[in-house]
Amino acid sequence: MGNWKSIFQVFLPALVLIFLAAPGLAASADALFQEGLAAYRAGDYARAARAFSEAAGRQPASGTLQNLGNAQWQRGQTGPAILAWEQALWLDPFNRSAHNNLRFARKLAQLEPPDLSWYEVVSTWLPVNWWAWIAGASLWLAVGMVLLPGLLRRRKAAWHQAVAAFGLMVFLLSLPAHLGVHTRARIGFVLQPDTPLRLTPTREAQALTRLSAGEPARWERTRGRYLLLRTSQARGWLEQDLFRLICPP
Amino acid sequence: MSLLMSQPKTEIASNVVATAAFDPPIVQPGERAVYRVTFNALEGSIGWPQKVAAPAELALRAGGHGQVLLFNGTNFVPRTTFNCHARAPRLGHFTVPEFTVDVYGKTVNVPAAQLNVLGARPASMTPAQQLLFEVPETNLYVGQAVKVRVLLASTPTGQLQTLMQVQVNGDGVLVDQGTARQWVGPVRRGGSALAAYIYETVLTPLRTGKLSAFAQGFSAGNRLSAPIVLSGPVVFPAGLQYTLLDSEPVELQVRPLPRQGELPGFTGAIGSFSLDPPKLAANALRVGETLKLLVTVRGDGNLARLAAPPPPQASDWQVFAAAAEASPPPPFVALAPPPAAPPASATFTYTLVPLTAAARATPAIPFSYFDPKRAAYVDLTIPPLPVTVQPGAAGGDWQALQQPDRGPAASEKEPGLSELAAAPGLTAASLAPVQRRPWFPFLQLAPAAAVAALWGWDRRRRFLEQHPAVVLRRRARRALRRQWRALRRAARAGDAPRFAGAAVAALRVACAPHYPADPRALVGADVLPLLSRAEASAGDLRAVEVVRRFFAVTDAARFGPAPTEAVELLALQPELEEVLDQLEKRLWA
Repeated sequence: MGNWKSIFQVFLPALVLIFLAAPGLAASADALFQEGLAAYRAGDYARAARAFSEAAGRQPASGTLQNLGNAQWQRGQTGPAILAWEQALWLDPFNRSAHNNLRFARKLAQLEPPDLSWYEVVSTWLPVNWWAWIAGASLWLAVGMVLLPGLLRRRKAAWHQAVAAFGLMVFLLSLPAHLGVHTRARIGFVLQPDTPLRLTPTREAQALTRLSAGEPARWERTRGRYLLLRTSQARGWLEQDLFRLICPP
Repeated sequence: MSLLMSQPKTEIASNVVATAAFDPPIVQPGERAVYRVTFNALEGSIGWPQKVAAPAELALRAGGHGQVLLFNGTNFVPRTTFNCHARAPRLGHFTVPEFTVDVYGKTVNVPAAQLNVLGARPASMTPAQQLLFEVPETNLYVGQAVKVRVLLASTPTGQLQTLMQVQVNGDGVLVDQGTARQWVGPVRRGGSALAAYIYETVLTPLRTGKLSAFAQGFSAGNRLSAPIVLSGPVVFPAGLQYTLLDSEPVELQVRPLPRQGELPGFTGAIGSFSLDPPKLAANALRVGETLKLLVTVRGDGNLARLAAPPPPQASDWQVFAAAAEASPPPPFVALAPPPAAPPASATFTYTLVPLTAAARATPAIPFSYFDPKRAAYVDLTIPPLPVTVQPGAAGGDWQALQQPDRGPAASEKEPGLSELAAAPGLTAASLAPVQRRPWFPFLQLAPAAAVAALWGWDRRRRFLEQHPAVVLRRRARRALRRQWRALRRAARAGDAPRFAGAAVAALRVACAPHYPADPRALVGADVLPLLSRAEASAGDLRAVEVVRRFFAVTDAARFGPAPTEAVELLALQPELEEVLDQLEKRLWA
């Protein structure tokens, strides 16, 4: 009994704080977003980038990340700009402006988009979080339609089976997209221009190739301050400060 | 193979000799001299040191280096030269001491060399030959081609040499050797007109920032193959000297192209360009037939590397990417300045196919260039040309292209930086997908737990349906506890009739599951068999007596003519509770 009491004493105030703080966080993110808009329109791209970055840190949002990409691009920061637009699409693949900006930037910087496998392409059709909810809902819908009529002593109807089959189908179709989300989370972008990709994870190691800012790569593993990356040209090590994943771990 | 074997061999001397000297050996304070070291070995085999040891006051800076192969009648003899530039600030004699260098894996001594800095140069000494590197503009945009000149002027006595293996060296610059021209022409130096060998090429900076470039070449006497027609006091010296000359470095300040104001059709053209009137191969054709469009661009940029504007997306036309053909001034070797020539040009040939007879003109092709003088992008769109298109027997492919929804053609517009989003848009608590957050698996367990609970409830319900006695006993236990509490309350209040009634009701409900009857229909005789079986082992008949008395009193109170005193029953509460306790245990059995 005493345990329950102490649990309530600790967690209840924490829950109350979370619920009270959530609107505050959203409000401050919105204020930062407006501040970024004003700075961008005044031509102060550095301040705009700072404001949008803070807003996205407090509450990641597709529009905020799109604007962050625009501000970084105006500052000549190709790598961070492409990363921000990719993150905007990660949250909301229906964001046409971020799509266009990426096409524009890659055309000017002569960069290729990440090479995606078919299940990764499927995962770009919907926002990343939707796939988890769709899979969970469809699975339990199918399970519910199979079990509930028996448990509730209802006569099994054809529509029960149809809904169950539909739920199972949606669940199975969402599995490749799940895999795609998982593997796409390991894609990142080079932040600085002319970044050396090294043979071994040391500063003095031989440079296998030099990567342009905004060039995509897949993260394989980490060793100390170095990341093992696979790019379209080579596989090698890069300092982790010079590379950022779409979805930070 | 025989042709290959018949070629003269390159002589790898077993006895490598190095020579070192200052050119000129006598200079005035602050004047430049070249410290030149020459080997009779291949350049790649020489381990030249990063820094040459020299007196502290002698500023020595690395210059050009190169290799030339000399034909000695049977073999090619390599000759490699390393230059360093030296300046001494005061009068004196400065000696670069002897040092060793690895050549072909062996140690070779480079002899000492002395530079004499005197107040005046001896009249008999001729000044050293100097290579000049002229860059008309040093503030450039990245990708902007600029014509540069390397000059070797004749001596005051009129002796002139040409250059071979001319190079322009520097990090981040591209030199287009295909556009090189060379000639002998007059230049003005120190107020007097001199003849000079002039090498002209095109240099393009490839990255932004401060870049440095210098020129080098071997003096080669007269190596020109053109007929020699000389006017003026120009003398080509006899014999070949092959001295490596290099220029002072020139610093370039390279800026990026502005992103603001970029126009459609910009393909990297930088300079000043103009369009000749575009030409069509025909002005009347049928649907599906091909039509050539020739566009000639003239200007002062590097036309050899000019990329054609991409074909536009037009509803009535299928336009194929252009084939580019540059015609820059040809490489020029002469002993006179080049004649005035029309500006170089590049020609783009587009292939167009009309998709419909409704087409009245060719589509405009967006094209633009960046003018570095105005620091702005200039529109040079290729204008539409009128054309007559007649219906024709178009094939299936062309029919398909005429479908209204042509997908990419309609949707793929020239991309540009979008406007800002006015609202934050779709938000998330984190960029990490929900399936990677720790709470998500627990959330998925919730429906599983609900289904499991539902399944357990259903099993229990089926069990109870098959065993109704379990339900009856449970209900009896609940009713017993209810009556038990009522009789305790009555006992505490001293309410004997209510105590007696609750006690009898408790006895009845505790026994009811053992009979197929309503509890209210049970009498004391129904309770006693159960009780006696329970007490048989204990041998205590006190409980039987208690039950009889409670039933007797309550029956008398209910059915008798006069009320019966029930107060005495209150004293039997402990015995009654024992009986009820035993009956409750039977309900759990």
